[in-house]
Amino acid sequence: MDILEKLKEIIVNYVEVEPEAISPQSRFMEDLGFTSFDFMSMLGEIEEEFDVEVNQQEAAGIRTVQEAVDYLNKLTA
Amino acid sequence: MVCNTIREILVQASERFGDQDAVRYKIGKDNIESKTYKQLRGDSESFSGALKTMDMQGKHVAIVGMTSYYWMVSYLGTVNSGSVAVPLDVALPAAELCELVERADVSVLVYDEIRADVAALAKKNCPKLQKIISMQKQEHENEILSMNRLLEESDGGFDAWANPEDLCTIMFTSGTTGKSKGVMLTQRNLAENATCLDMRIPSRTVILSVLPIHHAYCLSMDILKGISLGSIICINDSLMRVAKNIKLFGPDMILMVPMMIESFAKKLEDAAALPPELVKKEVFGDRLHTICSGGAYLNPEWITLFEKYGITILQGYGMTECAPVISTNLEWNRKPGSVGKLMPNCAAKVVDEELWVKGSSVMQGYYQMPEETKESLTEDGWLRTGDLGYVDEDGFIFLTGRKKNLIITKNGENVSPEEIENKLSKHRLIQEVLVRESEGAIEAEIFPDLEYAKKQEIADVKDALQTILDDYNKEVPAYKKVVKLNVREQEFEKTAARKIKRY
Repeated sequence: MDILEKLKEIIVNYVEVEPEAISPQSRFMEDLGFTSFDFMSMLGEIEEEFDVEVNQQEAAGIRTVQEAVDYLNKLTA
Repeated sequence: MVCNTIREILVQASERFGDQDAVRYKIGKDNIESKTYKQLRGDSESFSGALKTMDMQGKHVAIVGMTSYYWMVSYLGTVNSGSVAVPLDVALPAAELCELVERADVSVLVYDEIRADVAALAKKNCPKLQKIISMQKQEHENEILSMNRLLEESDGGFDAWANPEDLCTIMFTSGTTGKSKGVMLTQRNLAENATCLDMRIPSRTVILSVLPIHHAYCLSMDILKGISLGSIICINDSLMRVAKNIKLFGPDMILMVPMMIESFAKKLEDAAALPPELVKKEVFGDRLHTICSGGAYLNPEWITLFEKYGITILQGYGMTECAPVISTNLEWNRKPGSVGKLMPNCAAKVVDEELWVKGSSVMQGYYQMPEETKESLTEDGWLRTGDLGYVDEDGFIFLTGRKKNLIITKNGENVSPEEIENKLSKHRLIQEVLVRESEGAIEAEIFPDLEYAKKQEIADVKDALQTILDDYNKEVPAYKKVVKLNVREQEFEKTAARKIKRY
């Protein structure tokens, strides 16, 4: 499964959105309705699922799903 | 037992629980390291000694960092030496932090290396600063001192007692006019707030500290109250890992803000079909039985929901100006919809629907802001809370609204709409802006300068406004981000003084 699809599976654990409604351009807080705490918790789940260590300060700049995918690509490269 | 200095809290705890764990924290991914009460007292006394040796005793010491053992050592060492601690928000931009360092007349800056940028900028921009101390550096380097070396060099105890009426902490809180205000708290303000109420919490209770330590709620209830009870204070290393750290540390009790409770509530609702014991174990571990909630309004439905899983939520109420707890529900004495009964050291009355409080936890005023102090404190010591509410016949407080123009976010942060409006108004495209809370998020309603847009040939005004918000959001902590944009076609209705009507 590619990163985007796996990320969508994680996202729906935090907000009431259907996976099909999530696009790479979707913004976590503005479009998907994430609170800042949900977003942080999701980063924690990403750490577990992808076996990576997320840098909180770097991740704070992530706004869209595509930016999260890019960040994960960088971490898993 | 009620203590009136912070040193009294620490000395009593170290005498009762000396070799037992006071603080537990993570090293690496899953390893736990701990420090005993004796070590916490010894290291903080060494820090007091270091301040004395450097001729910094009695000065103002800013602390910038995430919750850590060395943050606690810095804080306790500072206030117990009769100096004044200035805990600052680690998430603020460096320039803003340096401005607060200057405004608070700080002589010593203690920082976490994750904010090395603040130390670098402060060296250039803060002329009043005399010493800079790194919490992580192992050796003194150039002008940066190593906390580790300072503690070793002054390892020999420190035995002076501060006066209960001495100023010991300045905490910044959002002001309604956009400029943050330094709340001045004495030893007595903080020590009595942490110790005057017997919540029947047994000693050696395991607490997981997840809230930002520069806030009065965390500092007073997790740290000072935790120490006074001989608790084991476990440090959550990141908000990303609360769920994981609950499993790792197995806490009995956690202090939370409503945003966190709501997030856990969603998980519980999603798992409603499964047996509650199983869900509780999976989400909260074996031991968790109490969550204290404060900082913002909590939907009472969550209290009922959590009870199904054997977890009691105790909702309280407070503000930094009151060090901070004003009232709390207790397990054996609570009322739905109420923020609990007044603390034993606090009196309250209602004046024109606004709640006023008085007592040994009420601040001394705002640092170098006599006008603002006068607006908040009456001559005979009543604090105007800015909250509307009433006290019922049993002494329970109910809040009904807010008089002050502040957004209280679900994570308990106070945000000044005017601060954001002032920043956004600097852009020529924004003619008028009103910032408010909408469905739990911060919304900006903007009336654009259409003439300017025309001259600049801006075709998509909404898109251009969103770009302005995006740029603003990049520079501010998560709780100050503007999440919703609403573009107006007509200018706002004004008051007689030509100010935008807010409500």
